[in-house]
Amino acid sequence: MNRFKWFYHPVFIFVFSIVALAASLALYIYWYIEVSTGLRGVIEKYQLDPSQFLEVQTWVVILVLSILVAIILAGVFIIFIYNQKTLQLYRMQRNFINSFTHELKTPVTSLKLYLETFAKHELPREDRLRYVGFMIHDVERLLDNINRIMDLARIESGSYRKDFVETDLVGAVEQFRRSNADLFRNAEIRVHNPAGKPLRGSVIPSLLDMFLMNILTNAVKYNKSSVPAVDIRFVPRGNELQLRFEDNGIGIEKPELRNIFKKFYQVGSTDDMTAKGSGLGLYLAQQIAKIHRGKLDAESKGRGKGAVFTLTLPLLSPGAQAAEGSSGQRSQS
Amino acid sequence: MMETGRKRILIIEDDAHIAEGLRLNLSLKGHDAAIALDGPSGLRQWKEWRPDLIVLDIMLPGIDGLSILRSIRLEDERLPILILSAKSEPEYRVKGLAYGVDDYLSKPFNLDEFLLRVERLLTRAAWGGEGDPARGGLAAPGPVYAFGGNVIDFEKFTARCRAGEVSLTEQEIRLLKLFIINRGKLLSRRELLEIGWGYTGDTPSRTVDNFIVRFRKYFEDNPHQPKYFRSVRSVGYVFDHDA
Repeated sequence: MNRFKWFYHPVFIFVFSIVALAASLALYIYWYIEVSTGLRGVIEKYQLDPSQFLEVQTWVVILVLSILVAIILAGVFIIFIYNQKTLQLYRMQRNFINSFTHELKTPVTSLKLYLETFAKHELPREDRLRYVGFMIHDVERLLDNINRIMDLARIESGSYRKDFVETDLVGAVEQFRRSNADLFRNAEIRVHNPAGKPLRGSVIPSLLDMFLMNILTNAVKYNKSSVPAVDIRFVPRGNELQLRFEDNGIGIEKPELRNIFKKFYQVGSTDDMTAKGSGLGLYLAQQIAKIHRGKLDAESKGRGKGAVFTLTLPLLSPGAQAAEGSSGQRSQS
Repeated sequence: MMETGRKRILIIEDDAHIAEGLRLNLSLKGHDAAIALDGPSGLRQWKEWRPDLIVLDIMLPGIDGLSILRSIRLEDERLPILILSAKSEPEYRVKGLAYGVDDYLSKPFNLDEFLLRVERLLTRAAWGGEGDPARGGLAAPGPVYAFGGNVIDFEKFTARCRAGEVSLTEQEIRLLKLFIINRGKLLSRRELLEIGWGYTGDTPSRTVDNFIVRFRKYFEDNPHQPKYFRSVRSVGYVFDHDA
C-alpha cells in the first residue's frame, strides 16, 4: 500500500493531468490534420465541391482547441491551488487542536488532582489555602483559553461592525492599564505621549481591549527579564497614529517574523514538543487592526533583544473632531 | 497492598501546579519526592539524586520527555518510569513503550489510579532488585557486541578493533549503545546530543562530529570511507553493518 502512496499525491495528480491534457491536445491536432488530409484526398478523387466539406480553416480549429485546453488547464491549476491551501489549513487546524487540548487539559488535570487530594486527606488550613490559590489560578487559565476561542468566533462572525466609538486613544490605553493593573502587577507598563494632547480615533472599545490584552500578555509572558517592561509610545504621523509597544522580552527570530501573524501559527515546532500557546493571539490582534483600517507590524533585533509591535491607525482630523466631537459617537457601517 | 517503604521519586513535569500536587500526594504516601520543571534539570537530578522511580511528562522545555526516557534507558534499563502526559493518542503510547517506559497514564488522570500504579511499579522494582546486585544494568545490546571484526565489551569498557585493544570512555559507551540500539536508523545530531549527552539542541554539534571521527578511527577499515558510521548530509549519522 505504502509503495503506491506517491500515486495519490496531489502534486503527482496535478503533473499527470497536465501531461495528459497536453498529450490530448497534440493528438487532437494530429488526428484533425490526418482526417482532413484524408478527406481532401477523397474530395479530389471523386471531384466533389470542396466548399461543402472544408469550410473551416485548420488554424481556427487549432486555435479553438488550444483555448479550450488552456481553460481546462487554468481550472486544474486553480483546483490544485485550492486543494493545497485546504490541506495546509487542515494541518494547521489539527496542530491547533492538539496544542489547544493540551492547554485545556493541563489546568483541568491540576484542578482534578487537588480536588481528589482534598477528598482524600484533611490538610492544614494554610496548605489548603495555598492549593485553593493554585486552583483559582487554574480556573483563570481555563477561562482565558475559553475566552480566546470566543474572541475568535466573534471576530470572524463580523457582528461588531456597528460598535465604533470615537474616543481619545491615550485615555483608552491608560484606562485599560488601570483596570488590568493586577494582571500586570509583576511587570512595568509605561505610556508615553510626547504630543501631550488627546489623540482621537474611531475604535471598537471591546476589540481595542482584546488587542491590548493580547499584545501586553505576550510581551510579559515571553519575557525572561527580572522585571518585564513594556513602553507604549504614541507617535502621530500626519493623519495616522502609530502606537508602538516596545518590550524587553525574548524577542523574535528573523525567520519567525513573517509567520507570527498566521492563524494557528506557533513559535517552536510540534515535533520537538516546544510549541505552546494557542497560535491565535497575534492573529486576533492583526485582524483587529484590519477591522480598524489599520495594520500591525512586528520587528525584533533577534533572540533576547526584545520586540516592537507597531499598530498604525487612522487618526481623526482636527476638523472632523471639531465637527463631530460633540456627538461623541457615530456609526461607521 | 504491599508497603514498599520510603522511596525516592523524581517528578519531571513543567506545570508547577501539577508537579506540586503530585509531590504532595507522594509525600503523604510516605515517599521522598523531588520536582524538576524542565528536561535538562530532570536529567541532572536523575544522575545526582538517583531516584527509585521517575514520573515523566512528555512536553517539556529544553529536552522532551521521550528523549529523557531514551537517555536514561541507555544506562539504566530497570529504573521504573511512568509517563504522565496530556498526549493520549496511541501513537505516543506506542512510542513511549517502544523506548522502554513501564507505564503510561494520560492526563487528566485519577489520583488513586496514579498512586496505585506507582506503588505497583515500586513493588516490582523491589522484587527484581533482589539477588541482582548490579542496578544500572546494561541496555539492550548485551554485554558484548561484535560487528565486522570489531568486538565491544560494555562491561570492561574496552574494544578489540582495527586499532588494536582500546579502552572506551563512559561517554563513548553511551553513544555506541545508542547507535547499536538504533542500528540502521538515522539519528539526527539533535537526537544524539539530547539522548547521548543530555544537552539541549542549542549546543554546537561539533561535539557529535568529534566522537564520530574517533569511532571511525577505531572501527573503520578506512576512516575516510566509512562503512559502519555513515553520515547523512546535514542531518546526522547512521550505524549499520552486515549480519
